[in-house]
Parts: sequence; structure tokens; C-alpha cells
Amino acid sequence: MSNAVKENTILKDLLTYQTHLNGQSSLLEKIRKESAEKVKNTPFPTTRDEDWRFTNLKPLTRGGDFVPDQEESSEYDPSELEEYFIPESENTRLVFINGRFSTEYSSIDDLPEGTLIGNLAEFAAEDNKIVEEHLNQYAEYEEDIFTYFNGAFLDDGSMVYIPQDTKVESPIHILNFYTNSDQDFFTNPRTLVVADKFSKSTVIEEHIGLSDNRYLTVPVVELKLFEGANVKHLRIQRDSRQAIHISRPVAHVAQHSKYESYTITLGARLSRNDPKIVATDEEVDFTVDGLVLIDGDQIADTHSVMDHRQAHATSHQLHKCVINGEAHSVFNGKIFVRQGAQKIDSFQENRNLLLSRDGHVNTKPQLEIFADDVVCTHGATIGSFEDEELFYLKSRGLSGEKARELITYGFALETIENIEVDSIHQLLLKEVERYSKSHRDEPEAKPVA
Amino acid sequence: MLEIKNLHAVVAEEGNEILKGVDLTINKGEIHAIMGPNGSGKSTLSKVVAGHPAYEVTEGEVIYEGEDLLELEPDERAHKGIFLAFQYPVEVPGVTNSRLLREAYNTIAKEQGREELDPLQFEDYVKEKLELVNMKPELLERSVNAGFSGGEKKRNEIFQMAVLNPRLSFLDETDSGLDIDALKTVANGINSLAGEDKAIVLVTHYQRILEYVDPDAVHVMMDGKIAKSGDKQLAFKLEEEGYDWLEKEVQVNAQ
Repeated sequence: MSNAVKENTILKDLLTYQTHLNGQSSLLEKIRKESAEKVKNTPFPTTRDEDWRFTNLKPLTRGGDFVPDQEESSEYDPSELEEYFIPESENTRLVFINGRFSTEYSSIDDLPEGTLIGNLAEFAAEDNKIVEEHLNQYAEYEEDIFTYFNGAFLDDGSMVYIPQDTKVESPIHILNFYTNSDQDFFTNPRTLVVADKFSKSTVIEEHIGLSDNRYLTVPVVELKLFEGANVKHLRIQRDSRQAIHISRPVAHVAQHSKYESYTITLGARLSRNDPKIVATDEEVDFTVDGLVLIDGDQIADTHSVMDHRQAHATSHQLHKCVINGEAHSVFNGKIFVRQGAQKIDSFQENRNLLLSRDGHVNTKPQLEIFADDVVCTHGATIGSFEDEELFYLKSRGLSGEKARELITYGFALETIENIEVDSIHQLLLKEVERYSKSHRDEPEAKPVA
Repeated sequence: MLEIKNLHAVVAEEGNEILKGVDLTINKGEIHAIMGPNGSGKSTLSKVVAGHPAYEVTEGEVIYEGEDLLELEPDERAHKGIFLAFQYPVEVPGVTNSRLLREAYNTIAKEQGREELDPLQFEDYVKEKLELVNMKPELLERSVNAGFSGGEKKRNEIFQMAVLNPRLSFLDETDSGLDIDALKTVANGINSLAGEDKAIVLVTHYQRILEYVDPDAVHVMMDGKIAKSGDKQLAFKLEEEGYDWLEKEVQVNAQ
């Protein structure tokens, strides 16, 4: 059956801006060309696609054209940026402003021998072997135009390499700033993290909108964990309330490695996050937790994949969302256990606290298991404040508002209590507190879940 | 202190009448025990006094220190010194015991015109209260009742009572499910929290807590009313003979 609806060509049209990029690396040039071809040949998703059923891309497709990131037109006060720096990462800080690497604000020093942290484009221009071997090898999202779109504009980005048996004590803080601008712009941040055997490191990936303007950011993050490597990955999305944020973080984890990711979603008009963890060997351990705090007209969609390809893995996903106003949260969590991947212990739970009558939740935990000796638990809950819980706190003298604030705070807290970087932990506590305090009014009516 | 007159209450959602005319007077300095079989309404009575939204009062009045209690929200009742130890204490994940209690203590102190305590002062203040119920300080930093054993939850209720220092306390089956040691601890806590200007109401299934706490009056509830009131001997008689004799007596009186 032919479909008369015309495909949206926004991303395909933006390919004309590819000429703006420099050509210093033949590797990047090759990836850009191949990716551009794929963008041309991949349909733009609509709500008729299963993976986009609940998330309408209108905030992206309607509301004016995008131009490439232009530093000249961006407006910001340098001291604004510094507010977001953390003392733990004084010498392990990468700063990007509207997608452009900033030598001025980045600070890399005192690294353990062999450790590489810096601008991906620069390493690629020097024909760095690690970049050549690993870049664009892991971000496999079938028929996903956004991943290809990112590849078509591959240029500045973050590159992190931790050598074998090395521990980088300081967390590596990657700050992606988005500034106010005359025109809506688009950026395609790319991050490559290669953690060699038995290394240990923490990567903080932050997206910060400095104003309330509209922009499109499509971050792709590739992590490769070799045998016995340990990587903690904190992702904090504090984009502008008009931004469109579509991210694809993917981790390939080898034997005895441990990957923990915590994604905190606070900003953006529309955010879509598709974390994907692939256990390529036996005996791996990974966590992909998330916390979403949204209100107003925000949409936050998480589509995750936990792909157990080999036996003896442990995995954990706790995804919590608090929804107020007319905000809309979507969760789709797929757990794959491939044939022969026995002795998998996988936990998945999506819990939603709905604070308002007009908030909206779609949730779908999904198991696809092709092995018979596995323990997989999964579940989803949607709820409002429970009368008994409110009464308990009120009977202790707390007002209804205070009781709702405390319950919201407590609900959100669980997902951030394992975050060990003190500045980030404190920051998130404040964010949770601020959110809880600003949404403690009684809902107009009891929402129907 | 508390005067309950002809109190009728229904389950708000379905209209099923649970309290069918309760009369009860409690004076300062007294300890009362309310006993009765399952479903007699004794738990409902304590919830209605605390202001539980699941119940609707359809008739009668509850006067506390000269004031109509039924006009007040549950938190306002707490500000006036009313406390309910829950039969099933609620878990509040992510909120520590110490945070809830400091918040509660300071809110009540402010409403009563007393001085609020800062975190350090509060720490000192709760230390002695912990000893009263034999609780470890670690429990302060754990989420309210989350992962607590049954006994820990009950002790935590008495601990909260000790910290908030209420004037009128209803303890809803706080003794149920406790082993002998925990029962003694809870009973000691109750005894040390009783006082001349306070009153305590024990809602219980069993007389065994009355071996450690000496009540001024024992009431038996049946079918939504106080069927009989007496002294401690009434509790012992119930323990030995059950409720059958009393049910018959009530039926005879009704005829």
C-alpha cells in the first residue's frame, strides 16, 4: 500500500551544511560521506513506527530552520561557564560550546602515562590508531537516521583513552554548553571512550543549555570496555526548555568488565535517549539507571536495550520518572538474552510518579529471551501519592505540601544515591530538592493511571 | 481532655458504617486500653481521632481540650499534640528517619510557639530518645520504615512518639507481633512517656501488654460501640474466657 504522506526531509536538507566542515582527517571525511549516504537512504521516523509510537517529533520538525553551530553568533558570559566546572575535574575537563571544542576552557593536565583525553578531531587528524580502530564501530542503531546524521557531521568531539591497568582518579568532565543564539542551530557531539584492560575511570557527560533558546543536539557516545575494565558514566541533561535532544549512548562490554551508567534528564522540550549496552563476552556486570524529572510541556522518552549475547551476566536497570504539568514520559526497555546466554541475572524496573492530572506516561518493559536458565525480573508502575503515605506524614504534623515534597524527593533520591562524585551528587540533590519544592501543590483531581 | 460523644463513622468510599455510636471520655494523666475482636472498630476509632481521610464522620462529636477536633486537618491535630502510632507504619523510601522527625518536630514546635532545633541540637535531643526504645543510631539515617522488621517498625513508632512528645497518643496495636523482649522495650517506652498532663490509649488484641503497662480503664468494643468498660480485671477475664460471654451479655441488654 502506498503512503501518500510526504516524508519529513529536515535532516536530509541539513546535509547541505556538510561543506562547512574542515577536511583535515581522511577518516572523519570517510565516515561523514558514508553517513550522509545513509541519512539520504533512511526514512525519517513517524508515529507509525513502533519505536516512535508515543513520541511525536513535531518540536523538531515544526518551528523554524536550523543552521550549523556558529560561534560568532553565540552570546554568553565566560563566567557563566565556570559556574559549571567542578573541583574534582580541574585537570580533566573538556569543554564544547555549541559543539565546538574550546581550548580556552578545557583543561587537561597531569594524566597518568599513556592516557589520552582531548578533541576527537585533533586525534583523528594525527591518524591516532585508537581512533582509527574504534571510532564509529559501536554506534549501531538499525535504520536510525539520527545516528547517521551525527556521523555526517563528525568533527569536534571527546576522545578518552584509559590505558591498561590504569586508574584515572579524577572524573573526566565533558561539558557541552549550548548558548543563546540569533538562529536555531544544530550540533552533533560525538564521544569515544576506550577503556583498556583492567582500567578504571569515571566519565561525566553533561549537556547544559545556558539560555532558553531552541536548538537541536544529537549526541552519540561510544564506549568500548576491554576485559576487566571499569567505567562509571554519569549523564546529566540540563538542556534549554526549548531544545531537542536526541542521544545514542552505546557501550560494548567485554569479559569481567563493569559498566555503570546513570542518566539524569531534567531539561529539553523533547528528549529521546536510547542507551544500548552490549555484553560481548561472559561475566560482565552493567547498570543503566535513569532519573527523569519533567513538567510543563516536556517530553522525555527512553528506549533502552540491554543485549546479553553471552552467559553469566548481571544487569540492572532502575528507571524512575516524576511527571508534572502536561509533561509526557515514555519508557521502552528491551532486555535481550541471546541463544546460549545462560545464567543471566537481569533486573529492570520503571517506576513513574505522576503528580498532575494532565501528565502522561507510556511504559513498556520488554523481554526477549532465547535461553532457559536465566533470572529476569521486570516491571513497571505508575502511581500518584498514596493516601496512606500522605496521612502518615500529616499525622506527624507535616502539611500536605510538605508531605508531597518529601515523598517526591524520596522517590527521586534512590536513583542518584550511588553517584560517588561529590560535586555531582550535591548538584543532583539540589536539583531534586528544587523540583520537589516547586511541585508540591495538590493535583486538581486524582489522576487515572 | 478528650470527649467522644455518640460517634458514628462510615468508610468514605462505600458508606459502610464502622463506628455506631462510640462514647468515651479520657482525662489527663490516664492510660486507657481498648480491646475487642477483629472488625469491632477499635482501629477505626483511633484513625478517626487522628483524621484519616478514608473515614467520614456522620454523627456525633469529638472534643479535645474544649475544641472540635473534627474540624481540623490531620496535621493540625498533630500540632495540638495528638499522635497516632500506626498499626502498619508506612514506608517512605528515600526520606530518612532523622529528616522526617526534625521536620515534624520543628513544625510542631513552631505551631506551639516553642523554639525550633537546628540539626546539631536535634541530634543531641534524639540521642536520649533512642535509648528509651533501645534503637541503634544508624536507624536515624535509614529511610523511614523501609526494610525495617515488624518489631523495628513498632519501636520506631514509639521512638517518634518520644521525639514529638504528644499530649494524647493512640497506639494502634503497637504490641502485636512483638516478641517478649520487644514488648518489654515498647512497654517501658510507653510508661516513661506517660505523665500527669498526658493521656495514652492502647488499642490492643491482647492483655499481655497490660502486664507491663497499668491501665486506669479497660474498654471493650463490639460492633462499633463500647460494649463494656471496667478495670484491668476485665482484660484478664477476656483473656481467659474470650468474647463469647460478653457478646451474649450485649445481646441480652439489647433485648
